[in-house]
Amino acid sequence: MDTLHAHLEALFDDLELVIGWETGYEPLRPTPAFLRSREDLSRLVWNPLCAPNLSVYLPGILKDAKETGKKIGVCLKGCDSRSLGALVQEGFVERERLYVVGLPCPGTVDPEALAEARKSSAPVTHVSFRDGLLAITSRDGTEEIELERVLARRCRRCRHPNPLHADVILGDPVPPRRTEPSFSDVDAVEAMSLEERRAYWEEELSRCLRCYACRNACPLCVCRDRCLAESRTPKWTTQRDGVRDKFLFHMIHALHLAGRCTECGECERVCPVGIPVALFKEKMARIALELWDYQAGTDPAATPPLQTFDPSETGI
Amino acid sequence: MEQAFFLADAELQEALAGLSAQADVWVPASDARKPGLVRFRRFQPGLTVRLDARSLVSAKEVLFPRSETLLRFTKEKDLSVPAGHRIHLDDARTVRPVVVFGCRPCDARGFLTFDPVFTKGPYRDPYYSERREKTTFVSLVCRDADAACFCSAVGSGPADPEGSDAQLIPVDGGYVLRPVTERGAALLEPIGRTAAPEQIREAQDVLDQVGRETVGEGSLTTLAEAFRARFQDPAFWHAHIDKCLSCGLCTFVCPTCYCFTITDEARGLNGERIRSWDACMFPHFTLEASGHNPRPSKVERYRNRVGHKFSYFPARYGQVACCGCGRCVRHCPVSVDIRAVVRDLPAQEEAHA
Amino acid sequence: MSEKNERQLRIVGFLCNWCSYGGADTAGVCRFKQPPLLRIIRIPCTGRMDPLFVVKALAQGADGVLVSGCHPKDCHYAVGNFYARRRLELVKRFLPFVGLDPRRFHYTWVSASEGQRWQEVVTEFSAVIQELGPNPGIGADTPMETAGQAASAFA
Ligand code: SF4
Ligand code: SF4
Ligand code: SF4
Ligand code: SF4
Repeated sequence: MDTLHAHLEALFDDLELVIGWETGYEPLRPTPAFLRSREDLSRLVWNPLCAPNLSVYLPGILKDAKETGKKIGVCLKGCDSRSLGALVQEGFVERERLYVVGLPCPGTVDPEALAEARKSSAPVTHVSFRDGLLAITSRDGTEEIELERVLARRCRRCRHPNPLHADVILGDPVPPRRTEPSFSDVDAVEAMSLEERRAYWEEELSRCLRCYACRNACPLCVCRDRCLAESRTPKWTTQRDGVRDKFLFHMIHALHLAGRCTECGECERVCPVGIPVALFKEKMARIALELWDYQAGTDPAATPPLQTFDPSETGI
Repeated sequence: MEQAFFLADAELQEALAGLSAQADVWVPASDARKPGLVRFRRFQPGLTVRLDARSLVSAKEVLFPRSETLLRFTKEKDLSVPAGHRIHLDDARTVRPVVVFGCRPCDARGFLTFDPVFTKGPYRDPYYSERREKTTFVSLVCRDADAACFCSAVGSGPADPEGSDAQLIPVDGGYVLRPVTERGAALLEPIGRTAAPEQIREAQDVLDQVGRETVGEGSLTTLAEAFRARFQDPAFWHAHIDKCLSCGLCTFVCPTCYCFTITDEARGLNGERIRSWDACMFPHFTLEASGHNPRPSKVERYRNRVGHKFSYFPARYGQVACCGCGRCVRHCPVSVDIRAVVRDLPAQEEAHA
Repeated sequence: MSEKNERQLRIVGFLCNWCSYGGADTAGVCRFKQPPLLRIIRIPCTGRMDPLFVVKALAQGADGVLVSGCHPKDCHYAVGNFYARRRLELVKRFLPFVGLDPRRFHYTWVSASEGQRWQEVVTEFSAVIQELGPNPGIGADTPMETAGQAASAFA
């Protein structure tokens, strides 16, 4: 923490603003912060509750930013940095206009798992983190909970906790939980029969509100206000509340993320009704890996596989 | 408390089954696969009813479905008329009585925002009004406000009976049911047995104690003017809203957001006109046919959300269009806090440099 | 709106204008017998194939989807089908994950002169679809949609 503040303080004259996290309405909810003055920097926090992927803001903020010659500072976790990589690959972000602070990531908390792991349900007044333990304080006292027990699904399968493409890495590198791509949750779905899978998704998706939080939180959903899912001409979905239209919306998101998804898990994290929508994209990521040995966002110079071709390809 | 009934925990399912004989009963319930996920669902025996948990999405869909058919149409080819076809319309509908059982006071109160708009004219909405007239709300006196709740700051409170027809008051071994309206009394009559005097006393104590609690700081009900003064202060809105993702989550989980769109969905010669939820946070909401959008970015859209609830609506109807349930705060992917935005409206000292 | 005892099986075919549409035409001109399940949509090039076409057709209950274009290296636009085959292979591998039967989707390459081959492709794929029977799709049709299907021969 202190290093983060000190580092940015020293650099602040060269920065237009810094995008990081600050404490939200309760200590359990750090919220994205756009810090425009040196004094604001003191609000920055960094801990395993800093879940939002800040790279989602970069295309928009760079488009609106005045050309002052100053850079925009941004704090990124490992997975966030992969999203940045993909945005650079596709030309949505000019890397040289950014100052990227990479934060080696111990993993982030799944709020529902945390609520279950806590003995008290009283409002949280203070949170601290040390040596893999979260200390959660409320009027019922302080509870210590192992981060490993309440880890978000995305973090259980994370291979890149140490940010890529950063200008500076603050903090010691952390050992990745996985060294090889892991698709065990995709496997679990694939263990079902075709019939069961259809029923599974129909049930999960029946809860969808079509609030589009999953889409808007996705750093690679760059169409923003021009999304196909809401267009009436051409008309891909109706306004009905049935599973079919919800399914089609999710297919639009998944297919548009094919060979682009950086597996940051934001789409799933933000869903208010707990639909594991990131699984669709994990399956896509796995196909991209199998067919083209491709992992989005890891190599800023690479071309996404569906934006190119190889005449010599056989077998497909 | 003159008249009250007692319902033991163990008799809850039976009572709900009894109510279901005459009405659609909606209760907070959890999903088999996701115990933490509590939503309003139509009661059926065996459903895991969760009166202990706050529901994620509001009860709004009970009276205001996510998508509802307003009318059905069929085109019949007929070359004797200039259009080449005749259109047959069918807007028949049946409205079943509804009971919302075990919602929180804020959920019931949320419909007080709908009422003046949909039932009082100048345009009375028949779809909403017909359902509304047949709906009974039984709300649970609320003892587990969390950090996002702020009902007291909008002039209500965790034991507020306003908008409810009856109240459920948790006591030892079950609930005391207290009628608030005549409709509530009529509903409770058959399901509970008369509460014993000590149960009534216990319930009264709970009511008094919870009634004294303040959930949420300050008051957010008198800022209509402050909003107008802030309207053209982009720096203020940017400081609060740069982080917003402009999704529709906050409006979709909200009990008082009532915006909708009407579309015709047809295939072949048949179709229906449906009304479905829309949201001022979506770009299409204000997109004009010319391509111009008067609310081109999330800043204008979120400003509208705040203005509508805390300025325009109060100016017109004399009440804020927010019941303080905290859902938009609790579930926002990036924890945008509408309370903080509204509270800062009159601030002299600028939060932003 | 009378119920038919058995819904007729339907295959949606997306054929490129330059090769496979010609191939289908050749098969017709030569009077090669083909099963009657296929309904053809002509597209300028398989490069126009949005994988969503496949998913939407299958989700709505089309019993099969067939995509056919120029042989690789023979694309009228030189490279359209190179892009296409990546997308089509990807969607083929994705379908089973969401509970859609991948056997209901087939993509292949048929040139304008290959009338005979076209006949084989259609016959074989139709046999697969006959074997699989009606596709349940994803989610249910609304009553109005079902009515719409019966009323218009091809929705
Ligand atoms: S996926 Fe990896 S980098 Fe991202 S939050 Fe989880 S542990 Fe951190
Ligand atoms: S689809 Fe989901 S996991 Fe993939 S980049 Fe977007 S938000 Fe992240
Ligand atoms: S965030 Fe969840 S509820 Fe909202 S559109 Fe996405 S899947 Fe549906
Ligand atoms: S305030 Fe939060 S929930 Fe509402 S549109 Fe913005 S990001 Fe979505």
